[in-house]
Amino acid sequence: MSETLHNLYIGFSVALAPSVLLYAFVGCVVGTLVGVLPGIGPLAGISLLLPASFGLDATSAIVLLAGIYYGAMYGGSTTSILMRIPGEAASVMTCIDGYEMTRKGRAGPALAIAAIGSYIAGTVSIVGLMLLAPPLASFALRFGPPEYFALLLLGLLVLAYMSGGSMLKSLAMAALGLLLGMIGIDPMTGFFRFSYGLVELGDGIGVVPVAVGLFGLSEILLTAGQPTATEIKKPRLKDLLPSREEWCDSIWPIGRGTVLGFLIGIIPGSAHIISSFVSYAVEKRLSKHPERFGHGAIEGVAGPESANNSATSGAFVPMLALGVPSGPIPAVMIAAMMVHGISPGPLLISQQPELFWGFIASMYVGNLVLLILNLPLVGIFVNVLRIPYPLLYPAILVFCVLGVYAVNGSAVDLGIMTATGALGYGLRKFDFETAPVVLGLILAPMMEMSFRQSLAMSSGSYAIFVNRPIALVMLTVGLALLLLSVVPFLMKRVDWRQRLGLEAGQEKETL
Amino acid sequence: MRSYKGSILLPALLILFFGLTAESSAQEKYPDRPITIVAPFPPGGVADLTARPVAAALEKVMKNPVVVVNKTGAAGAVGMSFVANSKPDGYNLLMALSSISIIPEADKLFDRKPAYTMDQLIPIALVSADPTIFVVNASRPWKNLKEFVDDAKKRPGEISYSSSGVYGTLHMAMEMLTHGAGLNLKHVPYSGAGPALTALLGGHVDTLASGPAVVIPQIKAGKIRPLAGWGAKRVAALPGVATFKELGYDIEFYIWAGLFAPRGTSPAVMKTIRESVKQAVDAAEFKAAMEKLQTPIAYLDAPDFQKFWDKDAKMLTDAIKRIGKIEIPEAK
Repeated sequence: MSETLHNLYIGFSVALAPSVLLYAFVGCVVGTLVGVLPGIGPLAGISLLLPASFGLDATSAIVLLAGIYYGAMYGGSTTSILMRIPGEAASVMTCIDGYEMTRKGRAGPALAIAAIGSYIAGTVSIVGLMLLAPPLASFALRFGPPEYFALLLLGLLVLAYMSGGSMLKSLAMAALGLLLGMIGIDPMTGFFRFSYGLVELGDGIGVVPVAVGLFGLSEILLTAGQPTATEIKKPRLKDLLPSREEWCDSIWPIGRGTVLGFLIGIIPGSAHIISSFVSYAVEKRLSKHPERFGHGAIEGVAGPESANNSATSGAFVPMLALGVPSGPIPAVMIAAMMVHGISPGPLLISQQPELFWGFIASMYVGNLVLLILNLPLVGIFVNVLRIPYPLLYPAILVFCVLGVYAVNGSAVDLGIMTATGALGYGLRKFDFETAPVVLGLILAPMMEMSFRQSLAMSSGSYAIFVNRPIALVMLTVGLALLLLSVVPFLMKRVDWRQRLGLEAGQEKETL
Repeated sequence: MRSYKGSILLPALLILFFGLTAESSAQEKYPDRPITIVAPFPPGGVADLTARPVAAALEKVMKNPVVVVNKTGAAGAVGMSFVANSKPDGYNLLMALSSISIIPEADKLFDRKPAYTMDQLIPIALVSADPTIFVVNASRPWKNLKEFVDDAKKRPGEISYSSSGVYGTLHMAMEMLTHGAGLNLKHVPYSGAGPALTALLGGHVDTLASGPAVVIPQIKAGKIRPLAGWGAKRVAALPGVATFKELGYDIEFYIWAGLFAPRGTSPAVMKTIRESVKQAVDAAEFKAAMEKLQTPIAYLDAPDFQKFWDKDAKMLTDAIKRIGKIEIPEAK
């Protein structure tokens, strides 16, 4: 422990050096901006600044790039809460209750809780990163394709379990998302599926255009289609901070989101996205008033926003402890390290203690900077809501188009955004939730890949999913959740079916 | 409203930027406006990491801005077909990898309209070539290639390898090994070289072929063991690792990066570019940058590069024809 403290002391002496501090600050500011913009996510932001970091020393470069990554998690919630447009994919869940809070005039508290939750999660999860990096990293490596598939399936079942209105409707929407996710190159054989000769569709349908279309455009269309504009309460100045009651409601979701996000974060994959929706589902389940979710529950903002932040720290665990990229963003950061002549690998922490501990310390500082930066911004951002609709909505529309186009410079993406905007309008008219579509779309390629990789590993035997303990545990939990949600249905009708339902379910899993 | 203006600035700038580079003007003196090098893969990959130091060095030699743009998608096909179909004025160049020869052949295999054909592009210079290294998880019993080959022959279809993706470069390297040594291994494709390494470290697959820069740190840490290399000679950083050729297998494979221009670029412009690239790869800064990436410079000017490319492309297209369409085994 004293050694850790000593190392941390070295780390802070690195992190508080004026030049490093400056780059941490720049990274955080850019990250916040990148997070606020729909379309440009942290990956694009980091990529754009990567060449600029070549001229810096290694520590400053890593601190700068990491600042963008976790800074984006702070900024991502802003447009989700104010306009129902996810600033980046990890903020999809925040759109639901965050925007409802805005409609009730509680935009200020929603933004404030998102920032504070992010700060707590960010800071606490760094402690986890600092103390647990090496042992956790080797645990994360045990997540092979079967485990990953089980985790994703569990995620989907949790999604079904949490469904707001009709479970059937949200499962149907998730299935629609999964189907859309099938478009693109078949990862195991190289076939193009449903691409209709468009090279752009070879990569599949992007999450950003779909999310902006389904959430943002459909909202604009719905508002335009109403005889009188939707009532959004203008925020009053004294309503900027959360009330005592909102604090009490948020504190546990923040704590749970932190732990959950960190644990999911260490598993290779797009963890910050998955962690946010798992957190949302968990909060809804644990809540005494689950009916409030979807109608402006602050827990639905506090949990996911904390989880996506703490997942970023988690994602650094395999990167720093093993030199293994846990997702596209750590991959770019590893490349940045290599440009500076540092070989990321299992020996990094012992060979480059100043880099490692300086990096850790800079994250403590960076999170504080972000909190200080974001809280006053709450006051500025909510003023956006004072702009009259005839001015605000066309501006948002321009903003969506620019953001989506900037991701790949692709006109096909704009077409997808428009089409999903129309689809979202129709779906919402019929009371379908659109969040499961986006989640299905995000999960589909990962699920397909890990499922088929597992079968390639086992030469086609499904036994691989039950022979591996981690996968088996997760599948069992998923099955239990599914049964729990089915039980009330069956109990109401015929009691004896309960047992049959259980057996039928088991058969399905082991088939 | 204030915050608004600031936040649309970034995409607006980007669009302005793309617009500028795509726009064409009458060609008098080359170069008179920024040159774009398209990297068809995301930042952090070999194409991007090679393109950036090349661009920086070229900028100094040509005294003209040279920018790297990542145009990614469909395993590089989007960026490559973008340059192949762009105006041959010397302002859109391509930093391509070995996969440039793979994609048109794979398109043929599936009767697809090809995104581009190889004769739409002409080579400028080869910049780097790295032999792949054959590594196994350290917990596996094989201490040398012979033990591995013997075991693999005893248990056909049981030993597995990960790759950067189906028909990807790492898949090609392994296909050459399995073909050359007459083995039957299980292929588990991943979405990139990074995840493929993760799978090897986690013991989810037994073996992998990947570039030296990727595997050396893990070899040093004792997590994986090298058995052989695909180069014509041994890799400087791994003097104890024999090549397949030394071990009696006639196989050779490199992950290479080279600069291309669209066919039809005027000879005068080509000459300027070739001479500038020649000076650029000789610059001290460029050498230092590539050293940091642990990637050896393997410069070849257009005529030699064309020969190298022809040979490499033939080897790869043969490999793809051998693999053919991939059959998914029946589920049990």
